[in-house]
Amino acid sequence: MTFHVVELRAVTRVFDGLPAVSQIRLDVTAGETVWLCGSNGSGKSTLLRVIATALSPTFGTGRVLGFDLRHERDEIRGRLELLGHQSRFYGELTALENLRFLARLYGVDAGRASPALERVGLDEVGHVRTASFSQGMRQRLALARCQMRDPEIVLLDEPYAGLDVDARVLVDDLLVDAAGRGRTVLVASHEPPPVDAVSRRVFLEAGRITVPQPVTP
Amino acid sequence: MTLTAVWAVAAKDLRVEIRSRYALGSVLPFAATMLLAFGFALGPNRLLLQQTAPGLLWLAGLFAAVDLFHRSYQTEADTGALDSLLLAPVHKGAVYLGKAIAAAAQVLVLVSATAVMVALLFGLPLLRFPLLLLLTTLLGAVGLSALGSLFGLLTVMGRRQAALPILVLPLVSPVVIGAIRSTATLAQGSTAGVAGWLGVLLAFDAAFLATGYLVYGHLIED
Repeated sequence: MTFHVVELRAVTRVFDGLPAVSQIRLDVTAGETVWLCGSNGSGKSTLLRVIATALSPTFGTGRVLGFDLRHERDEIRGRLELLGHQSRFYGELTALENLRFLARLYGVDAGRASPALERVGLDEVGHVRTASFSQGMRQRLALARCQMRDPEIVLLDEPYAGLDVDARVLVDDLLVDAAGRGRTVLVASHEPPPVDAVSRRVFLEAGRITVPQPVTP
Repeated sequence: MTLTAVWAVAAKDLRVEIRSRYALGSVLPFAATMLLAFGFALGPNRLLLQQTAPGLLWLAGLFAAVDLFHRSYQTEADTGALDSLLLAPVHKGAVYLGKAIAAAAQVLVLVSATAVMVALLFGLPLLRFPLLLLLTTLLGAVGLSALGSLFGLLTVMGRRQAALPILVLPLVSPVVIGAIRSTATLAQGSTAGVAGWLGVLLAFDAAFLATGYLVYGHLIED
């Protein structure tokens, strides 16, 4: 029997009486890179936030890495990273201070902050407050946070938004690197998958999964 | 892990506050303006000014603190940083305690600075029992912060900014009354009844902190 690192059953999330995602059944095996496709408002971000335990399912059940979505949230949170629309950094703190704070909060060795910054090309602005960072630099810093934590599951919500060509390559590298090391990645994007590392696509429309398709070159 | 998280959150909040200088630049001038306004409204009667000064001191501190609590969460909500706290694999009570400690340090500085203004403007003799006054200020600041750090979250989770003073002000009344009575007695050169008021402050601080530790997770979680 295959162990699914993400296992959702009839997951539905309702906002103000309207379902953002509805009756989602999704199984993801370890090491897969799944591309969630769909137009704006199709429920991609909501689905990722449910898997990340930032939102509770209104109905349905789910397990991530074997832990219950509702009752074992902290166990899931320690093993997963969500890169969402917002960078989630404090403008008054420097890039390095932001990463070190998160390292302490998430129980990661703070010594991994500097190498992570270097990997995304922000080592020279490590002591600059993030309030002066551009959107692209914040996205890079979010990638550094992800690399610092090295989680078992990475959730990327529109990771290419606001990125220049160089930074887009960083996201591609992250996908390839994660796939190479057996990490599981779920990407929500309205863009087509750019690298061969993607295992399969899952289509969402009006909050429902429509037709899962294999990636064709 | 929990203690590490408590200190990480407290240190982060204090560092953010020191760099943004919000309390110094916005909240403290508000307290000073309020004191001046009351001073002119009450007139030149020195005895009346001295009798009302402890109440004005803590009311100025209270209103300034409510603004501070709201602001500390608003920034985190706007940048999404609140998600980092939510998604941290730690007991959310640790996040609450960290925020309450940082808020208490800020309120302590705020009330102390306001006390200096009160002493200068109203001629209130505050240094007759400096240690007891410091203890009163500390316990009062902890009480205000314990409640403010809890309900400040509600204003950003539900976007109900107006709910903060409605929820905080009635509940925090025992702390404010205890702090005012203790400060007034000490300013009069007496310690009679101060131990009782300090006991009231301590009891409410403990109750608020314990409640906050236990329910914070329920408030911040979806």
